[in-house]
Amino acid sequence: MGLKHYVLLCVLLFAFTANSQDFKLGRVSIEELEQKQHPLEPSAPAAILNKAGYTYFVVSSGIWTMVTEVEMRIKIYNKSGVEYATHELGYLSDSKKMSVNYSNAATYNLVDGKVQKTSVNKEGKFKEELNENVSIKKITFPDVKDGSVIEFKYTIRTPFIHSFRDWYFQYEIPVNNMSYKVAIPSCFVYQRYIKGYIKDVNVSEPKIVLGKTMYNDVTVTYTASDIKPVKEEPFVDNIDNYRAAIAYELEYIRFEGQPEKHFSSTWGDVAKEIYKDDDFGKELGRTGYFKDDLDALLGGINTVTEKTNAIFGYVQKRMMWNEDSSYYCDKGVKEAYEEKTGNSAEINFILIAMLRSAGIDANPVLVSTRDNGISLYPGRSGFNYVVVAAEIEGITMLLDATSKYNCPGILPERALNWYGTLIRENGTYKEIDLKPEKESLEAATLSAVVDDNGSITGRVRFQYTNQLALNYREEHSSEKSINRIAEIEREYNNLLVSDFLLKETSNLSEPVIEDYSFTHNNAAEIIGDRMYLNPLLFMTAQENPLKQEKREYPVSFVYPKLYKNIFIITLPDGYEIESLPKSVNIAMEEGIGDMTYSIAAKDKIVQVSMQLNINYSLVSQVYYDTIRNFYKNVIDKQNEKIVLKRI
Amino acid sequence: MFLRKPILFLLFIAFNAYSQQDLSVLSIPQELRENANAVIRSYNKEITISSRKSMSVKTSRIVTVLNDYGNDYIDASEFFDKSTKIKSIEAIIYDAFGKEIKKIKKKDFRDRSLSEGSILTDNRILYLDYTPVQYPYTIVYTSETETSNTAFISSWMPLEGLYVSTEKSSVTINHDTSLGFKYKAYNFDEGILKKQEQPGVLALSVENLPARRSEDYSPYFLQIMPHVLFGLDKFNLEGVEGEASNWEAFGTWMYNNLLKGTEELPEETIVKIKALTAGAATPLGKAKIVYEYMQNKTRYISIQLGIGGWKPMPAKDVDRLGYGDCKALTNYTRALLQAAGVESYYAVVYGDRRARSLREDFVSMQGNHVILAIPNNEDLVWLECTSQQLPFGFQGSFTDDRTALLVKPEKSELVRTHVYDDKNNSQNSKGAYTIKQDGTIEGTVTFTSAGLQYNDKYGYEFLSPDELDKKYKNRFSYINNIKFKNIKVNNSKDKQLLREDLAIEAAGYGNISGNRMIFAVNAFNQSVSVPQRYRDRKAPFEIGTGYYDTDEITINLPEGFTVEAKPENMIFKDKFGEYKAEYIITGNQVTYKRSMHLYKGRYDNTEYENYRQFCDKIARNDNAKMVLVKQ
Repeated sequence: MGLKHYVLLCVLLFAFTANSQDFKLGRVSIEELEQKQHPLEPSAPAAILNKAGYTYFVVSSGIWTMVTEVEMRIKIYNKSGVEYATHELGYLSDSKKMSVNYSNAATYNLVDGKVQKTSVNKEGKFKEELNENVSIKKITFPDVKDGSVIEFKYTIRTPFIHSFRDWYFQYEIPVNNMSYKVAIPSCFVYQRYIKGYIKDVNVSEPKIVLGKTMYNDVTVTYTASDIKPVKEEPFVDNIDNYRAAIAYELEYIRFEGQPEKHFSSTWGDVAKEIYKDDDFGKELGRTGYFKDDLDALLGGINTVTEKTNAIFGYVQKRMMWNEDSSYYCDKGVKEAYEEKTGNSAEINFILIAMLRSAGIDANPVLVSTRDNGISLYPGRSGFNYVVVAAEIEGITMLLDATSKYNCPGILPERALNWYGTLIRENGTYKEIDLKPEKESLEAATLSAVVDDNGSITGRVRFQYTNQLALNYREEHSSEKSINRIAEIEREYNNLLVSDFLLKETSNLSEPVIEDYSFTHNNAAEIIGDRMYLNPLLFMTAQENPLKQEKREYPVSFVYPKLYKNIFIITLPDGYEIESLPKSVNIAMEEGIGDMTYSIAAKDKIVQVSMQLNINYSLVSQVYYDTIRNFYKNVIDKQNEKIVLKRI
Repeated sequence: MFLRKPILFLLFIAFNAYSQQDLSVLSIPQELRENANAVIRSYNKEITISSRKSMSVKTSRIVTVLNDYGNDYIDASEFFDKSTKIKSIEAIIYDAFGKEIKKIKKKDFRDRSLSEGSILTDNRILYLDYTPVQYPYTIVYTSETETSNTAFISSWMPLEGLYVSTEKSSVTINHDTSLGFKYKAYNFDEGILKKQEQPGVLALSVENLPARRSEDYSPYFLQIMPHVLFGLDKFNLEGVEGEASNWEAFGTWMYNNLLKGTEELPEETIVKIKALTAGAATPLGKAKIVYEYMQNKTRYISIQLGIGGWKPMPAKDVDRLGYGDCKALTNYTRALLQAAGVESYYAVVYGDRRARSLREDFVSMQGNHVILAIPNNEDLVWLECTSQQLPFGFQGSFTDDRTALLVKPEKSELVRTHVYDDKNNSQNSKGAYTIKQDGTIEGTVTFTSAGLQYNDKYGYEFLSPDELDKKYKNRFSYINNIKFKNIKVNNSKDKQLLREDLAIEAAGYGNISGNRMIFAVNAFNQSVSVPQRYRDRKAPFEIGTGYYDTDEITINLPEGFTVEAKPENMIFKDKFGEYKAEYIITGNQVTYKRSMHLYKGRYDNTEYENYRQFCDKIARNDNAKMVLVKQ
């Protein structure tokens, strides 16, 4: 279950064959201009007819530069496609070593049966300094109409040869022909990683050819054609995880007459190498800055669990996260500690150093956040975040002190992304499953009285644990109860909330408990001489979250969940029960989830119990129909009414 | 969109006595903490206009942030560009007891471009990116800027938003009396605004304004929030001298300085336009051809560089490049119409889905958008030139029912844009569905929409089948398991009518409980939303758009069931609108007829609960159920 197998599977589907394509800028054909819609995706607003890239290296005065040239031809079918007539590239402009240039940019139209070319000149090219570090080059094409074809080339030169820009094969519009040639001098050896859901990328046999430098080049060409567009779907963790792409990461350098210089290529290498970095290993090793505070904190505490909790709580309270995700320190732990603010590395390194000083085995776990997508290869560039693993009585516990509301063992949602890599100072490493195993609970206990007008009054108590407790606290902790009441009333139309009570403790490992009284005048319907009542009242599930009939990507639930409702409903005088829904158990295959629903009545009291489990964080799209049907059945069941008859 | 700075949101100050201010949080009066995420302890702006080409602004601002929602109100930032320089900027952070914890110098402020996506501008912002280490905290912010632009003097809104209160706020303006300084205060309760005025100096201040909460259906915030507008009769805009003593003179100034000379077109284009329009008999007939020509040729890209923030790009450049912003595209269309011999006027408005008008009683540079008006007898026909999809002459909700400044060589004037009548914002549905023994429904329905309901849907014709499917699944989200077997959208641009033909199927629509089946009769047009309840509604409320829906649906009932109960026919009328629902049973068939007319209007806060009840009653009736029982 889960994503990993599918990704591996797709890698295997890359076939080694040769392919060549004929694409030259400037040679836009009349057929291309005449085309009214895309032959395979008739509703596409635009299509990439050709994208051809070439990455190679040059050396000058001992400085290596990686050059990537890309040529594109894009067809605009209609006005919704004109957004593709503006193109931009961001780059690091602070060091001046990197450059981005557009050239050969023009719009082609068919005018009186002839191809008319309008070039992009200076007024259509812009440069913006976004901030101190990043600039953007942008081009805007002139004379773009329905049917236009635009072409351009861009060239990126960079001395940062550690990793290539990810090369994407798939876009939101169809791609007809794609080729990417990579020529790497034999002095550099890269690891190549491939991700995504594309079956037909052809990879040529590597060839050794005379290079532009003193070394021979090894060339490989990737080609693909008729690539379907990526589709936005709900409940996708990060769509980029499923877009077909290749990435290169430097493994080692072997200059002639010099020893080989290795870079990360296994997790062990990554671990070793990262520790050597000043902003990582050195920062982790600092301890002096907190010594007095730690001594004061640990006075009288003996057990490892107590120590861990105390240190975690201290760092969590003291440090404010500046919302920068990083696994490197920026200003350093000492300054961060003093200023009480820092990035994710600084805060969690302080935590690690304090735990270690207290004799607890604690190590960094490199993570790629959900926004950042999945890191496919053992390399630094796949990561952007770090959390902490502490060994406590034989159990590995994950900690992240950047959030104000989690407890040890619970990570904020941003970090719950597939696998992380724990790295130790001695260069050993371990893959850590970040998906929470513990389910998160939302329990509602309710007692209510229905009057003979169908109005309901009662009191309900909600309990949230684990991730759901963290969620609740993040969203509502600094909120005033008057606003929370308004939110509840907005969520449940026609509910009138009073006597709101939030039971909060300073212990964040305790559940959140929310309590309120309510009256609701729209839960029961009186039609003729009968009253129809939803057993779960205003909490009846109404809408299937999975609306589409088909699914391309796995369904992400983020973490396992358990919803539990126990309702006790007192029925009105003057009515008798004519029918009750039947108790059932609805289960999905492979233990993905289930609902247990039971209902029983004694005199005027109806007791309803509903329990819904989702057991996985991520479920393959193979089971999409199963899940969608499950929700359908759940909703149908929950909407079956208690029928009361007037007596 | 051509306004380069969100001027009205910017606040400023002058106050140099903050050393005497008690920075401790304890000294904030309780009434100012209520509903507040932040408290403006003291805000003082001192504006000095020493000449038509020189204005300096000193700001001093003390804000206590009570929780993380309040961070937005530190507002420690300044815009700058080629004509506006930041001379100094600094911030000091204090803890809850008034003890200094951090000082931030100019070099630690961040610089960022305001360009984004398809918007290109040379405007930049210098801002403080501060991570609070505790709440509450207090920030003391001071800055000084200098600009040669005097066309905009930031307005003063002492209550800066929602969930923020103000202890003290003041503004002092020193001005060269020859420039015709003017100001106007709006929405202040009696006796709140303190004023001191002498020749060349105006000082305004307020104290102790409690925080307001956000309330749905509130009118546009400038219609209810107290604020003061400032302006000069004689000003400078990016090196161009301007006059704003009355609307006519101001419009004429705009024409002469910003439009004149930009309408020149290549001879070839003029010839082409003349040929294209030669066959059309009337000016409007010609205008329609020109408008559609322009729509096909151009696209919207916002470019606001220097004076280009106010002056349209020359028509000949738009002709060559095929893109431009609202000014450029509107002016280009005006030039093309001129070539066709049709008169038209460049018109400045506020483009906003909520009707926001130019302040008629305050002549100044206003508006954020430009459209085109074509005189047609006594009337005006309006063209939105940034859209490639709107039909000719369709105003739409982005610019309807508000004042616009017609910019003409002479006799510039304020006029009102098109007002849509509620009844013409219509949607008519006709259809039938069959409900089966297992609760599945299957049916077809046709919707025809006009007016502002057309406005909501005309873009559907450009959506892909997937996108349409998603769109309709959202619209019918109250029907679970809905499947669209057919979706056809037909846009009659000439008639400004949108027709939607849908064929649907949904399992489990009829809910089976024991031997009964229960279902909501109105399957295709349920009005499900009921406004939020407020225990103590403060703001007046507004129904921004009225509409009129009519529905007629035939329902075929399943074999083997009889009707046990049907909803009552319903008809009611209120000051907010009218509603009617009728159920006619003939044999195995039910005919359901419904009409709903919502009036556009503005009402007192005390009416809000009644409106809520009105919506609730409609939602209930729209969801009224029929009960069938197995024979």
